[in-house]
Amino acid sequence: MSDSAQRKIGDVILKADNVSLSFGGVKALTNISFDVREHEIRAIIGPNGAGKSSMLNVINGVYHPQEGTITYRGEQRKDMDTHAAAKSGIARTFQNIALFTGMSVLDNIMTGRNLKIKSTFVEQALWIGRARREEMENRRVVEEIIDFLQLQHVRKTPVARLPYGIKKRVELARALAAEPSMLLLDEPMAGMNVEEKQDMCRFVLDTNDQFGTTIVLIEHDMGVVMDISDRVAVLDYGKKIGDGTPDEVRSNPEVIKAYLGAH
Amino acid sequence: MQFFFEVLIAGLLSGVMYALVALGFVLIFKASGVFNFAQGAMVFFAALTTVGLKEEFGLSLWLAIPITMVVMVLLGIATERIVLRPLVNQHDITLFMATIGLTFFLEGLAQLIWGSNVRRLDLGIQDVPIEFVMDKTGMLISQFDVIAAIICAILVAALAILFNKTKVGRALRAVADDHQAALSVGIPLQHVWAIVWAVAGFVALVAGLLWGSRNGVQFALTFVALKALPVLILGGFTSVPGAIVGGLIIGASEKLAEVYIGPYVGGGIEGWFPYVLALVFLLVRPEGLFGEKIIRRI
Amino acid sequence: MIYREAGQYKTTYDTDTQIFPIAQDRYAMLAILLIAFIVIPFVATPYIFSAILIPFLIFSLAALGLNILTGYAGQISLGTAAFMAVGAFASYNFMLRVPGMPILLAFILGGICAAMVGIAFGLPSLRIRGFYLAASTLATQFFVVWCLTKVPWFTNNSASGVITAQQIEILGFKFDSPQEKYLLVLGIVCVLALLAKNMVRSTVGRSWMAVRDMDVAAEVIGFRVMKTKLTAFAVSSFYCGIAGALFAYCYVGTVEPEAYNLDLSFRILFMVIIGGLGSILGSFFGAAFIVLLPIVLSMIVHVTGLPNSVTSNVELMVFGGLIIFFLIVEPHGLARLWQIGKEKLRLWPFPH
Repeated sequence: MSDSAQRKIGDVILKADNVSLSFGGVKALTNISFDVREHEIRAIIGPNGAGKSSMLNVINGVYHPQEGTITYRGEQRKDMDTHAAAKSGIARTFQNIALFTGMSVLDNIMTGRNLKIKSTFVEQALWIGRARREEMENRRVVEEIIDFLQLQHVRKTPVARLPYGIKKRVELARALAAEPSMLLLDEPMAGMNVEEKQDMCRFVLDTNDQFGTTIVLIEHDMGVVMDISDRVAVLDYGKKIGDGTPDEVRSNPEVIKAYLGAH
Repeated sequence: MQFFFEVLIAGLLSGVMYALVALGFVLIFKASGVFNFAQGAMVFFAALTTVGLKEEFGLSLWLAIPITMVVMVLLGIATERIVLRPLVNQHDITLFMATIGLTFFLEGLAQLIWGSNVRRLDLGIQDVPIEFVMDKTGMLISQFDVIAAIICAILVAALAILFNKTKVGRALRAVADDHQAALSVGIPLQHVWAIVWAVAGFVALVAGLLWGSRNGVQFALTFVALKALPVLILGGFTSVPGAIVGGLIIGASEKLAEVYIGPYVGGGIEGWFPYVLALVFLLVRPEGLFGEKIIRRI
Repeated sequence: MIYREAGQYKTTYDTDTQIFPIAQDRYAMLAILLIAFIVIPFVATPYIFSAILIPFLIFSLAALGLNILTGYAGQISLGTAAFMAVGAFASYNFMLRVPGMPILLAFILGGICAAMVGIAFGLPSLRIRGFYLAASTLATQFFVVWCLTKVPWFTNNSASGVITAQQIEILGFKFDSPQEKYLLVLGIVCVLALLAKNMVRSTVGRSWMAVRDMDVAAEVIGFRVMKTKLTAFAVSSFYCGIAGALFAYCYVGTVEPEAYNLDLSFRILFMVIIGGLGSILGSFFGAAFIVLLPIVLSMIVHVTGLPNSVTSNVELMVFGGLIIFFLIVEPHGLARLWQIGKEKLRLWPFPH
């Protein structure tokens, strides 16, 4: 693993303490504590239904936990708010691709820039001054991301027509367009073939490497997780059963039990 | 006080009629997730066809009704096949707009065949106060309304049996719960939908006959559907008991509002009062009285 | 062969984001505008102005308004006519009660009133969606018409509820003839259509489409769903309000609240569906279609000698049938067909 200047792992920037979340009696997360350090690649693994996606949803405020606190960049709070999370630089992708299906690839990625827009509604309607300049500036940034993720050939294609693997990439592009400091990736490689996985791995590592983006990812492919992540948390039935470096987790008896069965 | 009860009962009884129309909506919505805006047009179509057959062809009422029933069932099946089947898996709103199209089509078709005049439909039930009640309590309760309510009650009971006790009903409920799952255990989805549309056509016929004989068979019958909407909002789109309770609440409250609030604001509030009531309710409980709470997942 | 973009290289993002990126489209649009502004006023008859062109333009504007809400922001509305009514009656009262009120300002204020009503009735959209929202917009429809009918102040105590639009005068020039009114409507519609196009190609438009396509994801990437929806309601109602005012002032002249009924709302919804959801151009196609269809049908009925009552019923059936047809076959309406035609033309005569 390369050790460029940007990839020096820093302090803890996000910390969840004793978080519990339930949906009408069904417990999704039980008393979970979890932290993320700056610039690291942090993985969450676990069997289906272990509460991995719920954990991401708690981090960026889609779900509001009943108990516990979240400390983000020194500020302790009961829960996060999606808008505030986006504003403070948290971007994410979804397990089931959540692209805007009626729009082109370009427009989808442009939506990722929405928080950078300063021009008012009236300026945009008149297409003058600041509105127009911002549009061009954002387009330039978006084109860089398009280059970075190699999406040039589908730039103006409606996303509904794209194959699955490309859609996943467009979703990553949309998240990157926000120039996030923390990126939450929910199964970015699910359902991909080996080549697509390799591409995606490269994009994730490059993002981390070039922009210093902190990455929290959920992934099922053990090989990938163990290869690219700095630390791994293991969830099972909404509880955390292991946490540490890939090697520590690999040798954790409880994790082995959860993955190989009780015997 | 007596007047209050008179208004209340009249309202409840007309609420039963709203419930009857709403029931047609619920049936289709439960089984296929389609909000059938054309239910009102189906009511109109059924009533007009019955009267038309009777007057133009000189058939007796007891012959005209079964023929109309067949027509309605065929219409339901045709709708399912021609309009909805090609739209399977489209957005709810697309389906909804298709049924608006169907509304216009049916309205045009009915009037093209039978003309646009108001026709009288006589079921042999008179709209007079029940003497017995009038003697006892002094209240004016329409005999017609009571009989209509009884017919509705029988229909609802029959539907409840159909839904809960028969094999078809079990299939219907399975489809309502989960299309994919129902399909995978071998329930013929399209047959079930056809049955539902046919039943909804039948319910429309009953509603059309009752409404038609009360207010005359005319274009305004289609507006009954607009009354059924707030009923559905109150009761929830998927609940049969909800449709009935919602109908009663809307019927009673709109009559009471018209009588007690109407005079202060110039009258005519029946048109929008149910909607406002339903809306206020919506903001408090978006899934309706008996509807299921939907948890949105991502 | 003529319709080619070969050789038209775009070297800046600015030229790539213009409204008509292909040069031929720009020339065609220019030609259409020249014809509309300069040629038509000299050749069209008063009948064509007042029976076809003026209603076409006004309905286009209303359809454009609804398209912003339904096609772009994904919020269905069955109360379009109510917002038109607010625009018309508000403009009327501004003209009536404010001495020296310029008519264009009255239209704009009417549109703003409609926008405010739109925001008020759009509020439920924050908690409810789909059919529930459709029902709530129906409430708008009934409530607004009832309110305008029952409160005499709105109609200046007119016994029948009918208002007569005031004379249109801009900078001393009176717009009396159908030809002059046509030019006024055309000018307003062109400006508003351009503004709408700008909105949908910038952030505000993308926010609408994002909320339409997946509101949870929109929220997560930083759009404020509430603000976005209410902006769509406001802009849409503003457009409908202006259309309603033009309907009163430039088309019918005298109007009662009941003219803005549910039937009109449905008609405008049909224009949007047939023309193309989420397309500015489609709004114009749809309006043209719905305005021309009854005229063509009545001509056919006239020629074949069928009774007149047949026309209106056949019209209902054709409307209904076409809605279903378009939803099944081409949900993006005439605008999409137009686009497909253009794509074909670009490749012609080498289709492969």
